Amino acid sequence: MKKQIRLRVNGMDRTVEVAPRTSLLEAVRDQLGLTGAKLGCDMQVCGACTLLLDGKPVSACSFLAVDADGSELTTIEGLAAGDRLHPLQEAFMDCGALQCGYCTSGFILTAKALLDEQPRPSEEQIKDYLGGNFCRCGCYQEIIQAVKKVAGI
Amino acid sequence: MNDFEYLEPATVAEACAMLKRYGGEARPYAGGAYLSIVMKQGLIRPKALVNIKKIQELKGIRFDPSEGFVIGALATHRELETSQLIREKLPILCAVEREVANIRVRNVGTVGGNLASGEPLTDLAQVFLALDARVAISGPSGDRTIPLEELFVDLYQTSLGEEEILTRVIVPPPPPATGIEYIRFSSSSVVDKPCVGVAVRISLNADRKTCGTVRIALGCVAPRPMRAQGAEALLTGHPLSPQLVEQAAAAAAEECSPISDLRGSERFKRGIVRVLVRRAMAVAYDRASHASTLRLRSGQAGSA
Repeated sequence: MKKQIRLRVNGMDRTVEVAPRTSLLEAVRDQLGLTGAKLGCDMQVCGACTLLLDGKPVSACSFLAVDADGSELTTIEGLAAGDRLHPLQEAFMDCGALQCGYCTSGFILTAKALLDEQPRPSEEQIKDYLGGNFCRCGCYQEIIQAVKKVAGI
Repeated sequence: MNDFEYLEPATVAEACAMLKRYGGEARPYAGGAYLSIVMKQGLIRPKALVNIKKIQELKGIRFDPSEGFVIGALATHRELETSQLIREKLPILCAVEREVANIRVRNVGTVGGNLASGEPLTDLAQVFLALDARVAISGPSGDRTIPLEELFVDLYQTSLGEEEILTRVIVPPPPPATGIEYIRFSSSSVVDKPCVGVAVRISLNADRKTCGTVRIALGCVAPRPMRAQGAEALLTGHPLSPQLVEQAAAAAAEECSPISDLRGSERFKRGIVRVLVRRAMAVAYDRASHASTLRLRSGQAGSA
């Protein structure tokens, strides 16, 4: 049986109808048309599907959409202010922190959550926090450099 | 993933009644960190998920003078990792949590779900076993509290009844002159589940030299998290000596029953158990000797 859920997505109130088994990732990609978050491993390991639920990174592939009812959701599409990219997005471009781009939205959202929690993290803290996001192109050095740049360290 | 009914009880009693109504075909759901994986793989196909996340009484981490540290089943790994109370009084738990899975899993996965899943590749369970933790369980026929050891039965099997819910973990305040250490070894990436995880707790007798209570808890090397009681018994009543440490580490490696898999062969894992028990014991003993208060110092759980 389908259930109607309310979400505040990138600052806008949205309503979607989902079956209990629908993942948050499916709801966001297929019903809201926000396709920045990707399906990767489908088991909470790779981080390609990362979304911020009430500000905290979660694996949207494995989170039930019904369970997100009433929550605030941030996707990569919500980061830029109009034509102005978020500083993390700028830094990722400047540092060459992406090649194929499949993991990028997950990395940027996770980095945003880290900097919201801790505006000036150490390199060690950056590595710990982002350790659960995988980049198979191998841009790790550049990704860490980009986050450090935004953190001003 | 199969279709299922989605239920949201407001109280533990309501949740148990819902589970009862489905006669074993419903599952309690909290973070879904474990359930989502086994359901996607079709390993379990429940007719209903009972989302217990809105039940207030299952939340929070607090100190209760009569019980000790009370960790609500719904406390997430991240809550435990960042709890001020736990950081001050049981910092080993924060240190362990920093290494559990990744930030996303720690944000949604709960302490209760972690234990109730019966997953054999554990971190937290060993530390709780070393601290003599108990778990409170509620069901249609009432409440009960059991030592954590009695929760774990076999691979993915616990002693929880189909209509029961694990409600909280209770950690008694450790005695004075207690030291504890947890060391996890990963054979692939650090975000992988551990290959072996060893927790050692030593509480010294009043002489501050001989071991009083010793707990050696092993994870990932048996169908369930276990205590190496033979090894523990070797130490009780004795001061730690290099020979005794060697004997106990060998006994622990003998007592477990690891299987050969992608994280290592049986022989390799027994070898790692031996090394980690030896190392953890030395750290725990040192901390116990220097402990001046109830405060347990946290350890950097390094790799072997």
